[in-house]
Amino acid sequence: MSHKLVDEGQASPLESNPVAAGRRPDMRRVLYRETHSSRAAVAVVAAVLVMGLAGYGLLEAAVHAIGQPAWLIEPQLAAERAVALPAGVSPLLLGAAGAVIAMIGLFFLLNAVLPGKRARHVLNGGGSSPAAIVVDDEVIASALARSARLAANVIPEQVMVVVSRRQVIVNVRPTSGVPVTENAVLAAVQDELRAMSLEPVPEVRVNISTAGVIGA
Amino acid sequence: MTSTPTLLNRILIGILGLKLLAVGILLLLLASVPAVGTWWHTWSGGIWGGLNQAFNSTRFPGRPESWLWIVVAIALVILIGLMVAWIAQQGKGRSNLLVAEFDPGEVPGDVRISGGVAEQALKHALAERPDLAGATVGTYEVQGSPALKIRLQPRQGVAPHLLGAEVAALVAALNAVVGKTTPALIHIGAGARTRFSRAERVR
Repeated sequence: MSHKLVDEGQASPLESNPVAAGRRPDMRRVLYRETHSSRAAVAVVAAVLVMGLAGYGLLEAAVHAIGQPAWLIEPQLAAERAVALPAGVSPLLLGAAGAVIAMIGLFFLLNAVLPGKRARHVLNGGGSSPAAIVVDDEVIASALARSARLAANVIPEQVMVVVSRRQVIVNVRPTSGVPVTENAVLAAVQDELRAMSLEPVPEVRVNISTAGVIGA
Repeated sequence: MTSTPTLLNRILIGILGLKLLAVGILLLLLASVPAVGTWWHTWSGGIWGGLNQAFNSTRFPGRPESWLWIVVAIALVILIGLMVAWIAQQGKGRSNLLVAEFDPGEVPGDVRISGGVAEQALKHALAERPDLAGATVGTYEVQGSPALKIRLQPRQGVAPHLLGAEVAALVAALNAVVGKTTPALIHIGAGARTRFSRAERVR
């Protein structure tokens, strides 16, 4: 009943074209930022880590510069121990410390290199909408689940929808004895998706479970 | 939406990650491969000798300490300052003004409209909707011009495109009232409030 209304809802108020054209590049940047995770938290962690190390170094350097005894370890002694490294420390401890540091390094490196896409889709309302719209995949999934549920005539617990970047998987467990036609569900979900006009456009797959649910 | 320096973040985090990874792998190799140990002895021994010489040649006249320590301390202070500045760049970009323009009317002066106007108006318009579990509106500054960010938390099953189109119409109405087109971003998201609240059944 609801996906019949969709086409009317799409006819959003039009805006004068030059205004929309004037801020297009701006909005594209905003949309990129909204669909990709920011590294602000990781950056703060990294900065605090560097600040801690630098703070300790600063303490030792300042203590040394004014000729006081070192706080934790004399820099001279630390450097000599580092030069003589495989000796003096048990290899197990050294290896474990190396593994931990390498892991932390790998974490930061992957955070810097990976694209960091968020589970979100851009919803383009025909390009004439005055606002850019970004939707969490979870919201898309729950909307698609509703339309699939209405098409299959089952209760919400019998439908599960998984939305990923390029794929939508609809799992339906029909009520025992009441057949569900796959094509009807597929058509309903595709209708809803077409009305949403997501970017990138996901592909729809419908799985009708062979085992039915009793008493639903 | 914020002006977090994404590229700088990536570069700095990448540098830190590479360094930590290199140190970690070096320690692992030192612990496991004896041949690396001999290489490390000669390589780091050479560097240590050079450093020692530098410290010895930069002593205060008549005192055993080297002024290189002060240089090291200053360099570290600068590094800490840079790190603080880097943290301060994160998540910046909230602004207070929706419009700030010279008014070419009869009375000379500027016209400034606070972002609170848009935030209050949109929040009030959205508060009555039964299909929303929550809505927040914020004003941001994107590349020098103000922009609105509207975060909606619809109840389960609400069609996002219909909701988006209706809120976009609200934004268009607001733009007509303010007299200036403000770019807006509508983020329709899910959260704990939407997950555990009742489903929207009517729409």
